[in-house]
Amino acid sequence: MARLQRVLIANRGEIACRVIRTLREQGRTSIALFSEPDRVALHVLMADEAYGIGAGPSRESYLNLERVLETARQVGAEAIHPGYGFFSENEAFATACAEAGIEFIGPRPATIAALGDKLAARAAALRAGVPVVPGSPGPVDSLEDVRRFAAEIGYPLMLKAAAGGGGKGMRVIRSDAELEASWSMTRGEAKAAFGDDRVFVERFIERPRHVEAQVLGDTTGRVVFLGERECSVQRRHQKLLEETPSPAFDAATRQAFGEAAVRICRETGYTSAGTVEFIVDEQNRFYFLEVNTRLQVEHPVTEMVTGLDLVAEQLRVAEGLPLSFGDTPPAPRGWSMEARIIAEDPLRNFMPSVGRIDRVRFPQGPGVRNDAGIYRGYEVPVHYDSLLSKLVVWGQDREQARMRLVRALDEFVIEGLRHNIAFHGWLAMHPAFAKGDLSTRFLEDHFTPASLRPGPEASSIGLLAAALHEHQVRQRIATGTSSDAGEARSTWKWGAERGGS
Amino acid sequence: MRVWVTLGGHEAEVHVRMVGGHVVVEADGRTIEADFVRLPDGEVYSLLIGGRSHTVRVSEEAGDQQLMVEVRGHLLPVEVRHPLERMLQAQAGASHKARGETVHAPMPGIVVRLRVQVGDVVQPGQPVIDIEAMKMQNELAAQHGGVVREVLVAERAAVAAGQPLLKLEPEGA
Repeated sequence: MARLQRVLIANRGEIACRVIRTLREQGRTSIALFSEPDRVALHVLMADEAYGIGAGPSRESYLNLERVLETARQVGAEAIHPGYGFFSENEAFATACAEAGIEFIGPRPATIAALGDKLAARAAALRAGVPVVPGSPGPVDSLEDVRRFAAEIGYPLMLKAAAGGGGKGMRVIRSDAELEASWSMTRGEAKAAFGDDRVFVERFIERPRHVEAQVLGDTTGRVVFLGERECSVQRRHQKLLEETPSPAFDAATRQAFGEAAVRICRETGYTSAGTVEFIVDEQNRFYFLEVNTRLQVEHPVTEMVTGLDLVAEQLRVAEGLPLSFGDTPPAPRGWSMEARIIAEDPLRNFMPSVGRIDRVRFPQGPGVRNDAGIYRGYEVPVHYDSLLSKLVVWGQDREQARMRLVRALDEFVIEGLRHNIAFHGWLAMHPAFAKGDLSTRFLEDHFTPASLRPGPEASSIGLLAAALHEHQVRQRIATGTSSDAGEARSTWKWGAERGGS
Repeated sequence: MRVWVTLGGHEAEVHVRMVGGHVVVEADGRTIEADFVRLPDGEVYSLLIGGRSHTVRVSEEAGDQQLMVEVRGHLLPVEVRHPLERMLQAQAGASHKARGETVHAPMPGIVVRLRVQVGDVVQPGQPVIDIEAMKMQNELAAQHGGVVREVLVAERAAVAAGQPLLKLEPEGA
């Protein structure tokens, strides 16, 4: 296939910037799309070309399939990189690209379809001999059936409403004694909440880890495993900090894990970059969850330890070339961590924050990579997700990586809106995190807003700074030098005395 | 200059003076002296306190009477009042609690649920309204609580940052 020279990025924010960087390094033309409020977004400023595709809400721009494809055709794009989110796992979009003669940078539409359906993906895993969380294959009909599964699977187990999701309609059962009452309650609740009282039985994993496998496949049928990523630190199923390798894995676990991921992907004819997600129990038994058929948010940690550029590999595969390293990926070196810097306020139940980036200073120095989508003066729009930046560090071992993360977070300044930099500082310094003792319950187990309470030194500095600021503003008003602050504040109505010290 | 500073629930009388280009602050019987420079990019100060280097930013909260001071990633809400202001407020009994409270939208978004109506008694910290922004639903709580006097928005309304949403008055007022 001919070289893909003109590549359109059907995305925005940091991931669009990430893709543009590889395109630029390879002398390819980067073509950005933007919604109205994104006219001055960083990806538009960085790209070689940029075209408007509609209003702020995603549905009217980045998720407007006809508009995106029409623009791609008009501007002569030869390929589309979908990033993550938006159209990245959309079979219809991948198919429409193929019909328009534009290369979709990702797996084949049939693969996306096969893995996008949860039941089909689970079936593929079972065909590939990969374990899934033990449970009933379908809804259970009677209390007798539940008893039978309980005997087979063992306690604790979980009753799950078929129509439930996001933690709703689930109940944990720890003994035979609880079984009967829980069965009728879960069914009753499921009926009331979802109008559907079908219920599944599944083994309950007390302190699960979330670990995922990075895979890459090319069009020769080759699929390789590029190491695991530990993504257990989450809040409401949103990952906050990822690392590779997993502190829980030994070499034997890693090998079995990688082989399982590769088997699932071979089963579905996988090409391009993908992530196979597993839930891992306290005995390091892993169970298949799902496949993300795209570049993952946290892919940079894998790049840091392998030295590979995953976007470059995706471009090779899209051009029909074999993976750059053949059958044997480079051996991973050292340790990498990524902290997602998000516009949300950990002190107010992680409520999202929008506003202008008044001041920003990015961390620098050894082993630091920062994939950001912001700059000073940039207004963070309300329409999209609140990821501001991904701070990625590399160290020779976990401890060096961890302390480097702490140091880089300390250098990181974002002012103008609320963010979670101080939260990450707390997390990276937490003794359980330092030991690698992680689970998806980490925040429930360890975090309260009081964790972020400033110490006495910060309080004295705060007091001094507030008093100093008040003094300075008054002096500026008194001498008429500058009145760029505070005019609107009612204190001035009271501030009769002038220039007093 | 004399001001009253409230930080972390504690109010202190603070003396501020300038000595040879340094700021000297006295509060609660302690004295802190700092070499300070205002940085060229806003209300940001570099402080050297006993040789220790700190960068602090002072900003004013929208729709609020308080300052936010950012120190090493920590945001500290600080209220600064002048003696006359404090005296007048004391005479009027005009603390937030006594004056009542207005719940503002902290961000632009859509009202997805009103949890209270006029006449309801609201406890401090009780969620009163749900706003959706950035694809997330967020509960807004009343800080001081009271009786709902006025609801200023309807469900499904789009609201701007800082927009007043509902007003509370102290119970028994």
